[in-house]
Amino acid sequence: MFNRDFWSEIFMALRRNKLRTVLTGFAISWGIFMLIILLSAGNGLKNGVTSNFADRIKNTYTIWSSVTELPYKGHKAGRYIMMTNKDIQLLESLYQVEEVSPVISKWGTLIFGEKSRSIGFNGVKPIYKNIEGIKVSEGRFINENDMKTKAKVVLIDQDTNDELLRTTGEMTMIGKTVFINGLSFTVVGVCKANMWGERGLAYAPYTTMQTIYNENKYYQMEFTTKGLDTKEENEAFKAELKRKLAALHEFSPDDRRGVWIDSQMIDSLETMKIFNTINIFIWIIGIAMLISGVVGVSNIMRITVKERTNEIGIRKALGAKPRSILLSIVMESLVITTIFGYIGMICGIGVTELIGMAMESSGGLSNGNGMSVFVDPTVDIGIVISATLVLIVSGVAAGFAPAWNSVKVKPIEAMNYR
Amino acid sequence: MIKLENIHKTYFGAQPLHVLKGINLNVEEGEMVSIMGASGSGKSTLLNIVGILDNYDDGDYHLAGHMVKDLSENQAAEFRNKYIGFIFQSFNLIPFKTALENVALPLFYQGVGRKKRNALAMEYLDRFGLKDWADHYPNELSGGQKQRVSIARALVTSPKIILADEPTGALDSKTSAEVMQILRDVNATGITMVIVTHERGIANLTRKIVHLKDGLIESIEENDPDKMDFTKEIK
Repeated sequence: MFNRDFWSEIFMALRRNKLRTVLTGFAISWGIFMLIILLSAGNGLKNGVTSNFADRIKNTYTIWSSVTELPYKGHKAGRYIMMTNKDIQLLESLYQVEEVSPVISKWGTLIFGEKSRSIGFNGVKPIYKNIEGIKVSEGRFINENDMKTKAKVVLIDQDTNDELLRTTGEMTMIGKTVFINGLSFTVVGVCKANMWGERGLAYAPYTTMQTIYNENKYYQMEFTTKGLDTKEENEAFKAELKRKLAALHEFSPDDRRGVWIDSQMIDSLETMKIFNTINIFIWIIGIAMLISGVVGVSNIMRITVKERTNEIGIRKALGAKPRSILLSIVMESLVITTIFGYIGMICGIGVTELIGMAMESSGGLSNGNGMSVFVDPTVDIGIVISATLVLIVSGVAAGFAPAWNSVKVKPIEAMNYR
Repeated sequence: MIKLENIHKTYFGAQPLHVLKGINLNVEEGEMVSIMGASGSGKSTLLNIVGILDNYDDGDYHLAGHMVKDLSENQAAEFRNKYIGFIFQSFNLIPFKTALENVALPLFYQGVGRKKRNALAMEYLDRFGLKDWADHYPNELSGGQKQRVSIARALVTSPKIILADEPTGALDSKTSAEVMQILRDVNATGITMVIVTHERGIANLTRKIVHLKDGLIESIEENDPDKMDFTKEIK
């Protein structure tokens, strides 16, 4: 069936109507081109936003201290709820909680040689690195050994590091001794700015900070969970935790504030939902665009078939079977859609790859706080495969109706058609 | 070869048109028959039914011993391809195919390979003196040449029957004579031939003349074409 003669017949038909073939094909090319551009833009947005979260582990919760809104059990509204070691004990008693990572936050002045600058000074556990998705660019993060020995070691952020290097002419800060609030620390690592783009940060072991400041009040506390996979489980856990914390601190369980609980899992599920919706929306737009191309092809095929009615009648009289006529028309439409669709797809991919390369070399689009909003706006092989399937389906769809009509016509009517 | 029994055909348009009102006709193998009649007498319709290009409403039609009724499009296509060669007044050559490709087309639908197909088509073109015109497109050929190409195309599958619908209708008298001579020669090789015409001169060149009037066979006239003066008879 699909031998050389079959294909030469089809390409002959296409060549006979070059202009028409090209104009029709252009609609398809344009449709698939725009689909690829839109999808890659959607991908860029998604990659951009998720890259900010990507390195944070998903099963984490953050609790922030806050101010009550409702009066409760004789307490007035507007009370500031500070977390204490009791909260840590409460969290550790819950079976869903894996590891609690309280954060001791202080303001401090960092002095190195002649240079001083103010920093946010945080006492953290090793798990904090994974929870916050901190990227260590040089050296290492706080480890368990630091915790045990209450070592006076510190990580500084890139911005501080660069400034210190610039003003002192040193090659590296690793191994150097710095003074923070008058105490000497050894720099063991440098990390990139956190996901919020904050600058001027230093991290020391939690145990060290506790020894220095004898701190048992926490503004922020983080912990990882286990066994909470769905949104529902997380919502339920969050509500339960809020009730328990409300009981502990004697604020109303209905208080919207008091403490803030934030679930990374819920946030990430919500974010993914938004991007899935955007993606569906893009497919709908893209396919609508493609449909206008398909309608164009179908229309042209209808005209082509009408013009060829005589010829089809002659072929039938000479013994052409319906299947061969149906196939040749459907294949003609399929050839137009796939060839021009591929041209559009290759152009689209080419353009998105170029944009991706240009953005990579310029460091990506960001919102000014170091948060990237648009990263790697390209499509993957899965999208290319689905787009190909869409093309094939639309090609067959575009050709089928006209082909079927021509098959149904009696040969004598077709031959006498004028 | 062709056996028609009480064939009826009505066209259902704005006003139903009863075109064939019970045709009974036998055509034996190797016969050369012409069907004559005024326009609207149903002669083309009859030929289309015989050629399985159109269906009939009532009656029985046997072609080479096979009952032809309610055939699927596939079966109809096979029958046409295997048993019947068509010659049309307007030639019905495919304009964007060369003479050779046109002649080879029925063989394509038989699934004959390209080389064999072209060799056979060339043989038939050669038989009608068109070898040098094989690569020409229909619009580069004269009327007589076109009709010879379509005769070659009708014969290339070695059919049992040739159906010709006004084969000389678009030709001048000299070319008509040539074409009729070819058809007589073809018939002489044993191929059954049915010719629809409204020209007495053409009908006189066949052995049996079927007169059709208002959808019925009026008379069947026996005729001896050899008595006719060929060149005078046409037109």
